[in-house]
Amino acid sequence: AHCTLGLALLQKQELDEGVNELQKALDLGRGADPKGYMIDEIWQELAKAKYLQWEHASSKRSWELQSLKEACETALKEKHFLNDSHPGSFSDEAIISHMKQLEVLSRVFKEAGEADIPGEVPDYLCCKITLDILRDPVITPSGVTYERTVILQHLQKVGKFDPVTREPLDHSQLVPN
Amino acid sequence: AITLCPNVPVYWTNRALCHRRRNDWLKVEEDCRRAIQLDYSSVKAHYMLGLALLQKQELDEGVKELQKALDLGRGANPKGYMVDEIWQELAKAKYMLWEHASSKRSWELQSLKEACETALREKHFLDDSQPEGFLDEAGISHMKQLEVLRQVFRKAGEADIPCEVPDYLCCKITLDIFCDPVITPSGVTYERAVILDHLQKVGKFDPITREPLDQSQLVPNLAIKEAVQAYLDKHGWAYKLD
Repeated sequence: AHCTLGLALLQKQELDEGVNELQKALDLGRGADPKGYMIDEIWQELAKAKYLQWEHASSKRSWELQSLKEACETALKEKHFLNDSHPGSFSDEAIISHMKQLEVLSRVFKEAGEADIPGEVPDYLCCKITLDILRDPVITPSGVTYERTVILQHLQKVGKFDPVTREPLDHSQLVPN
Repeated sequence: AITLCPNVPVYWTNRALCHRRRNDWLKVEEDCRRAIQLDYSSVKAHYMLGLALLQKQELDEGVKELQKALDLGRGANPKGYMVDEIWQELAKAKYMLWEHASSKRSWELQSLKEACETALREKHFLDDSQPEGFLDEAGISHMKQLEVLRQVFRKAGEADIPCEVPDYLCCKITLDIFCDPVITPSGVTYERAVILDHLQKVGKFDPITREPLDQSQLVPNLAIKEAVQAYLDKHGWAYKLD
């Protein structure tokens, strides 16, 4: 019920409420049966919805940042030219200091907007087989962490050993990380 | 001994140790460099050389030597007494490096923030034709601008502000950031030395889940270890050990 309600709310563009309902559905589903078929489907829809939420919020943030950055650059440049009282004879020191200012400004705005720029997900958050971000990570006795469904498949179809260290491995030895 | 057999690295590190006790750091550096020439993998030589360089305020070089000593020491004997000592000194040095770099960054950020605020204010008063006291659209937009500016500068300087290290990077017993995390079959991660101590002195069970636990079941949590290093690289203040 929560799942269907969630999807309906998303259709109406009520992103936040929709995400809440899908999350509730996922938690209930996982509680009842972590490997049930519905879980995967709910997770897919939830991930899509959360991405939409992010996209919406981040474009707003980016636009705000860009406007402000341009306003600061303009204001600083105008001030620099106004401060100089001998046109045509800028002191080198003033120019260098002004250029440095603009450089630091660039860095500051880049840093402030960093979280919204897609980059590489850190290695330690990704499955060593698929290289995708982990959803249900499990660790082997060798200390390596994999996506649960992927390592289970490996043990069933390829062989009972750790893919990276090649040490013997049984599915009962997998520990949730 | 050195006069009779100048090619034995241990004699040089032994003498370096004496110099260290006497706080004669220049001689410590000399003797350690000789020892390293004879034996590149001497843990003690790199360690004391690192300390000597730190004394000279050569922070970057000192940290490199200490890191080398730690890597060599861990390779040879991960639970040796020296490893702990080297780690303590390395953490202290990394903290100093961070302190130095971050005060420079903070000052730079603060200056620029003030320059921007001033420039934006002056521009607003020059551009604005409303008599004072009237808060019109331009005035509101200007206030909003300053508000966003403050947020931007706060965000840019965030990594340098000490805060709480995230739970998942800390030992469940000591609540300190991990050095050498190990995970139990129950899925809980602890600091290796601390859980070993618990198993020996308190009992052979997982402190949190109370399930039976033997030290042979402990697995190094490599993913968390990597996560901790990434966190320290970004937040140098976390190197400060209580």
